[in-house]
Parts: sequence; C-alpha cells; structure tokens
Amino acid sequence: MRRRDFIRDAAAAGLALRFGPRVFAGQKASVGPLPALAAVEGESPAAITREALSLLGGMGRFVGRGDKVVIKPNIGWDRTPEMAACTNPEVVKTLVELVLGAGAKKAVVIDNTTNQAKRCYVRSGIQAAVEQAGGDMIFVDDYRVKKMALKGEWLKEWEILLDVVEADKIINVPIAKHHSLCRLTLGAKNWLGATGGARNQFHQSLDKTVVDLAAFFKPQLTVLDAYRILVRNGPQGGRISDTELRKTVIAGTDPVAVDTFGASLFGVAPNELPYLGLARERGLGETDLGKVRLEKRKI
Amino acid sequence: MKKERSRKYRNLERLRILSQAVFFGLYLYLLFGAHYTGEDYIGSTVQRFFHFDPLLALVTIVSARLVYAYFVFSLVTVVATLLFGRFFCGWVCPLGALHQFSSFVFKRTKFLKPPREDKASLAPKYYILIAILAAAVFGLDLAGYLDPFSFLTRALSVAVLPSLAQAISSLNGVLYGLGATGLARSISQASTNWAINTTFVQGFSVGLIFLGAIALNARKERFWCRYLCPAGALLGLLSRWNLLKLRIDDEKCIKCGLCTQHCETQAHPYPNDKWKSGECVYCFNCASICPTAAIGFRLSARPEKLTNVSNVDLSRRKLLLTTLLGMVAVPFFRLTPSRKRASLKLIRPPGSLDEPKFLAKCVKCGQCMRACPTGGLQPVLTEAGPEGIYTPMLVPKIGYCEYYCSLCTQVCPTGAITKLSIEEKNKVKMGTAWVNKSRCIPYVLGKPCIVCEEHCPVSPKAIKLVDVETKLPDGTTAVQKAPVIDLDLCTGCGICENKCPVMDDPAIFVTSVGETRSATNRLLLDITGGSAEDPYK
Repeated sequence: MRRRDFIRDAAAAGLALRFGPRVFAGQKASVGPLPALAAVEGESPAAITREALSLLGGMGRFVGRGDKVVIKPNIGWDRTPEMAACTNPEVVKTLVELVLGAGAKKAVVIDNTTNQAKRCYVRSGIQAAVEQAGGDMIFVDDYRVKKMALKGEWLKEWEILLDVVEADKIINVPIAKHHSLCRLTLGAKNWLGATGGARNQFHQSLDKTVVDLAAFFKPQLTVLDAYRILVRNGPQGGRISDTELRKTVIAGTDPVAVDTFGASLFGVAPNELPYLGLARERGLGETDLGKVRLEKRKI
Repeated sequence: MKKERSRKYRNLERLRILSQAVFFGLYLYLLFGAHYTGEDYIGSTVQRFFHFDPLLALVTIVSARLVYAYFVFSLVTVVATLLFGRFFCGWVCPLGALHQFSSFVFKRTKFLKPPREDKASLAPKYYILIAILAAAVFGLDLAGYLDPFSFLTRALSVAVLPSLAQAISSLNGVLYGLGATGLARSISQASTNWAINTTFVQGFSVGLIFLGAIALNARKERFWCRYLCPAGALLGLLSRWNLLKLRIDDEKCIKCGLCTQHCETQAHPYPNDKWKSGECVYCFNCASICPTAAIGFRLSARPEKLTNVSNVDLSRRKLLLTTLLGMVAVPFFRLTPSRKRASLKLIRPPGSLDEPKFLAKCVKCGQCMRACPTGGLQPVLTEAGPEGIYTPMLVPKIGYCEYYCSLCTQVCPTGAITKLSIEEKNKVKMGTAWVNKSRCIPYVLGKPCIVCEEHCPVSPKAIKLVDVETKLPDGTTAVQKAPVIDLDLCTGCGICENKCPVMDDPAIFVTSVGETRSATNRLLLDITGGSAEDPYK
C-alpha cells in the first residue's frame, strides 16, 4: 500500500467514524425545514450574528464536538473597524464564542493579509476580540502554505493555507465592500485571503478565480458582515464617509445566495456580478433569492 | 611574600562583566523593541544609547549646525568620564562588551596569545577622531561609519538579525519536517510578531565588515577599542583629569608583568608611571589577575602628565596632516552628481530633512531599517554619493511605506528623520508614482488588473482608473480599466510598485520627484502650493 493511499484511506475512515454516530442518531428533530439564508438587522453586531445563527438552526448544525474550526474573516487591511475594510470584530468574536460553545476543540482565525499582518490583526480589532472569546489567532506561516490541486476550471493548482484546508469545518466571514474590478467583494472573493503565492495575478481573471476558490473551499457556513459596508474607495476605503451603516448580518449555507443578498444591499443585481452566474452554473448555489428559503428579521 | 589575588578586585571584575551583560541585554531589548508592538507610538528604543554618546553629539551638532536636545544626555557621559575615566567603554558600551567577550573567547581557544608587552601604536584612533571632527566642521558627518553604536546597530539591523531570522526560518522547516509542529509554529508566530526583515541589499558587505571587526580580536584584545574607535579616543582625551588612578604597591609587586600582558586595552599598568589613564577602561583585569594583590585604584586629584593620558606621541605634524585630511575629504566626498540633481531612486523615509541637512545629521545606524515593518528601508550604496553610504532609502520593490506607520521617524537618534505623528506623516510626500504604460498589463496586454489601485491607501485614491483601448496582436481592440495617477494625492508610499504583478520591473514605480522635503526636486509649479481643500478632511 502506498503511503499516500494509506493517508487517504485513514482520513476517509476518520471522517466516517467522526460522522458515523451522528448519522445513525439522526439530526436533532427540527420543526419544519431550516432556512438556507438568514438576514438579521439590529443595533448590536453580536446580537444580530447570534440571531442569524439561531435562525439557521444554531451553530450545532455546523460544528460538531471536538472539531477544529477555521473562521476566515477579511483582515486584509491595516484599517480600524469604522473604516469597514475588515470584518467587524464583534461578528468574529460572536462566531468564535458560538463555535466553542457548540463543543469545537479549537476555533482558529486566520487571514493572509495585504498590509503587515500584525498591524491588520491588531488594528482591525479582531485579534483582541478573538482572544477574548478564547479563539486562536494565527499568522500565516510560510511553511504552512502549500501548492495544491484545486481542480478548478481556470485555476488548476495554487498555493493554499494549510491551516484553512486542514480544518474540520470552515466558516467564511467576509465583509461587504466595494471593489473596482469585481465591483463588490463579498464571500467568494474573501477566499483570496486563504491563498498564498502571487495572488495579485488573480485579477487577470478574477471572476473565474473566485468561483474556482469558492468551489474548492466549500464552507459549511457563510456569515456576511454588512453591519457597516464600504460603498466607495474599495476594498480598503480610508474615510468614514466611504462607509454606510446597514446593521445587517447575512448567514447562510448557500454561499452564492449570501453573496446575492449582499449585492442587493448595494443595489446590484445578480446579473451585474458575472461570478455569481458562473457560480450558479457550477452548482455552488442559487442566485434567485425567490428559490431560497430566506428568513429576514429585525431585532 | 604571600601570594593572594585581591578578592575585592575579583568581585569588581565580576561586577563589570555583569554590567556589560546587563547593558548589552538592555541594548538588544531596545533594539528588538523597534517594531510595531500593537501601539502606533513605541516610546524610547535603542536611540537612547546614542544620546549618551558624546562623539555623535559633538559631530552631529557641529556638522548640522543644529542642537538636538536629546544629546543633553551625552553630558552625563562627559562628566562621568572627566571624573572617572573611560568607564563607559569598559562597563557600558555594548560593542566594547562584544569585543571583550570575543577577545576572551579567542584567548581561551588559544587563537590569541597576548604578548608580554605590546608596543603597537595606539595613535590611529586619535587620528581618526581628528579627521572626523575636521570634516564635521565643514558639514560632513563621518562619525556614523566608525561610531560604536552606529556600527553595531547597523550590523545587527542589516546583517546579523536578518541572517539569524533566516537561519531560524530554515530551522523551522526542519522542525515541521520532524513533526515538531507546535514548536515550529510558536517560532514562526514570534518572528512574524517581531517583523525582522530578512532582505537587505548590503546585508552581505555590512555583515562581512562586522565579522572582520570581531575577527580582529584574534590579533589583539579589543582591537577596535585600542586602535580604531573614535568615540573611545574622545573619551580618552577627556579622561586626563579623572580622579581614579591606578597605583601599584611596590612592596607587593613581584614584577611578573601579568597585568600588562592581560590589559584589555594596552593601558600598560606596569610600570606604574607608564600607565595610561586615557587607555584604561577600568575593566579591573589587572587588579584581579595580580598574584599578590599589588594593584589598586585610588582616588587622586592630581592630573596626569599629558603624555601619560594615552602615552601616544600625537606629533604635531601628524595632527596637522589628519586635520588637513579631514578637510580635504569634504570636497572629495562631494564630487557626486547627487549634489547637483536629486537621484530618482533616492526615496527618503517620511519626515527626512532636506538632503544636505539629512546627510549632515544621519549617523547611518540603520535603526529605521530595523523598525520598517515591510523591509522597504534599505541602506544606500551609490544613490546619495559617498557621504550617503548606509543612509536609508525606500526601495518599493522590496517593501513599501506602511500607511499608518511612523516607526522610522520615532527611532531616529539624531532627528535626521523628524519625529512625526501618523497624521503628520500621511501628509508627507516621499515621491511620486508613475505608470510605465509600455509594461502595464491593461495598457499593453488589454487584460484586467487594477492591483495598484486596489492597494492605494489614500482616500480618495491617488490611482484612478480610466477605460483604455488596447490594440491586441490579433487586430482586435480590448477595453480595460487602467491606472492614472493623481499627483496631488500620491504620497509616494510605493505599495503600488510593491504589489504590481509585473515582477522584474514593475509597471508602476515611484521616483523621488515632488518629495515634500526638497524645494528643488520639483515637478509642477503648483505642486508645492497644496490644494485649497484638504482631501483628508
């Protein structure tokens, strides 16, 4: 038996054992089908995140006991929260709490930043928030970036952060922002932060790239932070006047639907974002919100 | 005669070693402190050491014709030296400690066998000092090349720490390979935390010079301190009147000569009247090693004979010659075209003084390069002329100027880079970005890119996008968004050049023209006037 086969089989067996008992026990009896998308508006970023997750059936639906969970916010820029360039720290903190509360062994928060990593981690407020909630905040480590086969339609292989792919569960926590090339940066584009290498070349075919990345990472859950959104000078803004308060969090199991809903906050229709169409064609999700079970709430 | 070494001086020697270790540790701690700690303003770092250095104080004040208030601390050293001699060299100086330690190692490993009596001339350092002072009178700051703090800090920042960081990183690869993931991870997290840059254009040569200076200790103990150090020479001259005198008890002395043989700095303790207070660094090796405890240090107000200060025959002829040399060096150092016209690549750190003042104040210590979080600040080789060697410049291909960071302005020991708040720093223009339309991807290949615009940190962005038509090889026309620069908004931070996907020669690049600090390196008539409305408000 070749080593690679052994590792693969062992991993498969491990996965089977991990999920096995729950399969036999059956999911916890739920009252009616759960929504695929929950959009909650309210004053407190933490409260609306909590509410959105409970509408989706609670974090227990996504995270199992003993899981190692990676939460991937956007911490790309050396900007404070009121600039809306990075994910709201309260949203990230709440997710870490929920993940650990659901019995996860570890909640790891990581992003391959654009500016100096430490500046981004500290000034976004995310490092302090995550550590307060008991999560682990780690910097990207050169030795933990490996070229992997993505089997995408455009990206065949690329450098990927091992800390993200080796996790049991992945939660994508983007922030909704303006971007000059793909118009908006939402969930799918957030995966650029889980890659290494010469990612500035992605821009030469950004729509195809983000779809390939979204198809590769397949998050269990996407939580789009639209508490304060960046409406111009994206993707990093720089002035409070570049932002708008929307006080909304959109959580969902369908990443395409989450992005579609996020785009609607900017008044952008799905057909104006080519990658959404590509993603739907690839079967990653739905762009017609009429076809998605959507729960909206204001608290 | 009872043979017994002095316990008192043995303890004082131990205390001296402890003091050296403590100051060296403090120095390293402060040097490591020069990074983004999580606070925008990091307070005092290793520049405090520089402020106690009378050589740097004197040369900087003379050459720049400006008094820099922090140098008031150097008076402490001056007074201490006047009273107690070159304590500073023996007990405080971190480079001296390093030399003494390596001398000790070379002696222990038998690479160095000190002669019974060393007759080599101690004069070179005095001539070096005189030449530096003469040059300073004409505004040329040469102190930084041989000043112990500048020399050590530059070597550590640009060569030693970077190579250590690289070595540790390679070790990490091995650790991961062995499965020691936890340890490897902690190491990599810590090195990201300290932001130790590992790429320096002159790292190799600076490192080689540093290793050479250390290796010289295999020839003579504290070679640097004996023959080269201009700061030591200055303190030596000041120590003539010091109160602490070496005295040998003639009744106890057995004339074994151990004291002179093991004197770190060739101060010649025996015979007593040959002892040179200007060379003695009060390491107490002689008093401690003396087999009969015959050597002691007593307080005495009687000044030394001038010849005894260093016992160096500083001949009038040679003094005149070196003074002349220092003066002649000034025009010689300035035969460079960079005096006539700004160099396009010479992008100085934000807050740098105008070039002539900058050169007169910069002591080439490389602390700004240590503090720079992206590694963009690099030692200059040719761009600023010979007197600008080792001064800092931003090389955007290696690292850009981080928008909310002003660390380099906070660590400069002489004020060559003015201390700036983040808000002040963001109004400084270091240079101007230019698009090379014959290499830019949208302009020439008709493909989308906008990476530079995305990274431009100012708001509104200094890089605007316009639709550009490109004729492709197959005859069709592509329309893409392509960058154009808004000169009023561009700060010259260089992140566009750094992140440009055209790797070898970025299609967008920064040159020094339009820099705030210069009245002559200008582009447009109205660029200095500033716009009526502040785009940052």
